[in-house]
Amino acid sequence: MATLLWLEGGACSGNTMSFLNAEEPTAVDLVTDFGIDVIWHPSLGMELGDQVQQILRECASGERQVDIFVYEGSVLMGPDGSGRYDMFANRPMKDWVAEIAPRAGVVVAVGDCSAWGGIPATPPNPTDAIGLQYLKGERGGFLGRDFTSALGLPVVNIPGCPAHPDWITQVVVALAAGRTADIALDDLQRPKTFFSSFTQTGCTRVQFFEYKQSTMDFGQGTRTGCLFYEFGCRGPMTHSPCNRILWNRQSSKTRAGHPCTGCTEPGYPHGDLMPGTIFKTAKVSGTVPKEVPTGTDHLTYMAHAAAAKIAAPQWSKEDMFVV
Amino acid sequence: MTSTMDLHVSPLGRVEGDLDVRVTLTDGVVTDAWTTAGMFRGFEMILKGKDPQAGLIVTPRICGICGGSHLYKAVYALDTAWKTHVPPNGTRIRNIAQICETLQSIPRYFYAIFAIDLTNKRYAKTPSYDEAVRRFAPFVGTAYEKGVTLSNKPVEVYAIFGGQWPHSSFMIPGGVMSAPTLSDVTRSISILEYWKNEWLEKEWLGGSIERWMENKTWEDILAWMNENEGHYNSDCGFFIRYALEVGLDTYGQGHGNFLSTGTYLDPELYQNPTIEGRNAALISRSGIYAGGGFHEFDQARVREDHTHSFYKGTGSHHPFDGVTDPIDPAQGKAQDKYSWAKSPRYDVPGVGYVPLEVGPLARQVIAGQADPAAHQDQDPLFLNIVNGVGPSVLTRVLARTHELAKYYTWARKWLDELDLHDKFYAKPVEHESGKGFGSTEAARGALSDWIVLENGKIENYQVITPTAWNVGPRDADQVVGPIEKAFLGTPVQNTADPVELGHVARSFDSCLVCTVHAYDGKTGKQLSKFVVGGM
Repeated sequence: MATLLWLEGGACSGNTMSFLNAEEPTAVDLVTDFGIDVIWHPSLGMELGDQVQQILRECASGERQVDIFVYEGSVLMGPDGSGRYDMFANRPMKDWVAEIAPRAGVVVAVGDCSAWGGIPATPPNPTDAIGLQYLKGERGGFLGRDFTSALGLPVVNIPGCPAHPDWITQVVVALAAGRTADIALDDLQRPKTFFSSFTQTGCTRVQFFEYKQSTMDFGQGTRTGCLFYEFGCRGPMTHSPCNRILWNRQSSKTRAGHPCTGCTEPGYPHGDLMPGTIFKTAKVSGTVPKEVPTGTDHLTYMAHAAAAKIAAPQWSKEDMFVV
Repeated sequence: MTSTMDLHVSPLGRVEGDLDVRVTLTDGVVTDAWTTAGMFRGFEMILKGKDPQAGLIVTPRICGICGGSHLYKAVYALDTAWKTHVPPNGTRIRNIAQICETLQSIPRYFYAIFAIDLTNKRYAKTPSYDEAVRRFAPFVGTAYEKGVTLSNKPVEVYAIFGGQWPHSSFMIPGGVMSAPTLSDVTRSISILEYWKNEWLEKEWLGGSIERWMENKTWEDILAWMNENEGHYNSDCGFFIRYALEVGLDTYGQGHGNFLSTGTYLDPELYQNPTIEGRNAALISRSGIYAGGGFHEFDQARVREDHTHSFYKGTGSHHPFDGVTDPIDPAQGKAQDKYSWAKSPRYDVPGVGYVPLEVGPLARQVIAGQADPAAHQDQDPLFLNIVNGVGPSVLTRVLARTHELAKYYTWARKWLDELDLHDKFYAKPVEHESGKGFGSTEAARGALSDWIVLENGKIENYQVITPTAWNVGPRDADQVVGPIEKAFLGTPVQNTADPVELGHVARSFDSCLVCTVHAYDGKTGKQLSKFVVGGM
């Protein structure tokens, strides 16, 4: 039996909605089969008003043990550091987080907003949005760079906009099953089991990438080719298992012709949504992608590309996902 | 002797977001109400100066519950601004995706957000209470588990076309990013069939969707319920019986004025999207029902008032000229402001600017208008119910669930109409400047974007959500918003657990979270037993 408290700050509920899509286990299974005791959740909790305030006070004082504290959404610091852009249960949400997080066994940031600040932190960041232990790629965040929860762990980041339900449920099951020690984290405090491989790992376009064959157009043109060259796909530079653990058990953005937007990395939205950065590949000297796949450089990339294009077989220039 | 007190609920949960409600009770009945949206993220400020397509990425993230609907209207705002051509298949896929999001939302709303309150101890003495608990108790209820879990099926279809749900941005000016193959279509059909068989007909209706769609009046609904054991014992049949037992038909009326901006564009009729041509191309029609009469919807008649909202100054703007200039709520309170939501109002011809309720009930009332075009939905059921038994918590929830059968039928039909050999996208010219309007009906009501482009970037972007329409505060004329109005007349039995307020707020399925505190009406002091901190 482990207790779980889930709060939403500057959030869209997207991670909660994603979480409810889970199977094996479902959100209901977590409660009925895995013994997760959900203390309160903004979309699922029975209590309202003063009853919620009472629960939160008990969690903040330590009277009630929170084993897993899940936080969704940015911490909104504005205006002027008051936190009044996000009032919850009669006080700034940031004040609840500051009191509850240090007493929790494990603190889990679900989604980009909670991990890095997310879309609300995009310039000009009107609400002074910040992540739990990062602001974009900079360690620190709301809780501070040296923060650790009661079990001695830093914030466990499960980024993504939203996070995939399995990334959340599997971590919750691991924590509930006493496998906390097995949750190895990478440099950005993400579970390595999910975030060591690339979004491109398992993508159905990887053969086209190999032979440097570009997708020509959206729609009917998207069945074939790779989205990296013209459409700004960040699959080769982004760590996530989106093409290993499919979305809604069916597909992924890149499989459906949607360029990866790199939403599990702290730079998201990359290019800060400035003109010309959306669904277009930024290039140097007109042809070479400005950002090349992780681990390569422009010179190696160009040499590889030239050879790959020569090697490209005829099928790689044709539509193999036919009607 | 009359007793008056104020009650402040913070948070009133399960409305997705942060909502605080303050009500005045006179002899246990709500006589005045104030709704406070407690959170501000500044998305419209972030969009200014950005890439014209930034709204496709940002606006779905306003709300993870109806992100697909945000995407749908954001793309039509750009289609109208850039004067694109959208091949019929592009519109078909957009329609299928959004309707699948709504099919997901309805049961998830009903069981997870709304029905668990029916197990509140307030009803412990009603005859069917044990049955309500058996079905609707959170996590362990028999109906709860099936309804919530299987609600993930319709969005599997969304993922087939859009890559994932929530938060895809696969609808782009000129069409969609994907181009489905035969197996994408057959898989989608199979998933929807499974969901219909396993939940919609088996659990929810206890009978066929065709039989449900024959209901044209409130009397038809009652006759349907008593027709056989399947209907009677279905979740829908039980809900209606129980709602009548506990009086959910007796409060939550609201203003009784409704707006639908309509949705689901006809693929053939909206190949070249314009603001002017939108109404005629809608399948689910737009319109206003106010003062007992219908009016045509015109986006030019919309204004957002911010007199009582935490933004600088007072007055109102049309969204093309909209301003988002936040102030510290602590200062705002001194200026009689009390919410982050603005107050959208509509200029009804001959009446003036009034608040209008949006949502499934509004949509289904508008569907009762006479003289539809051949491609448009006409459905008399809820016009009959509103003019007969009237709007209420029950009516609002029933209107939402009524859409299940209708939307399932449309989704299946549109899948059949996909032409796998035709185009799904036509590359648009990315004009430097322009104005666009895009709108849709999210599960919870009218959702619209107004975009102004200048010099290849966003000059102004304004979004009006269904929650703003419904949960917005008073306007400059002190006229209360739709949810504030709906609270009036609500009986509250136990001020320490005012579940009736939860029923009313949640019947709108607003994208927000809420709280209740108590005040003494005579002295204006809070009753300390209900409140921590101050207001």
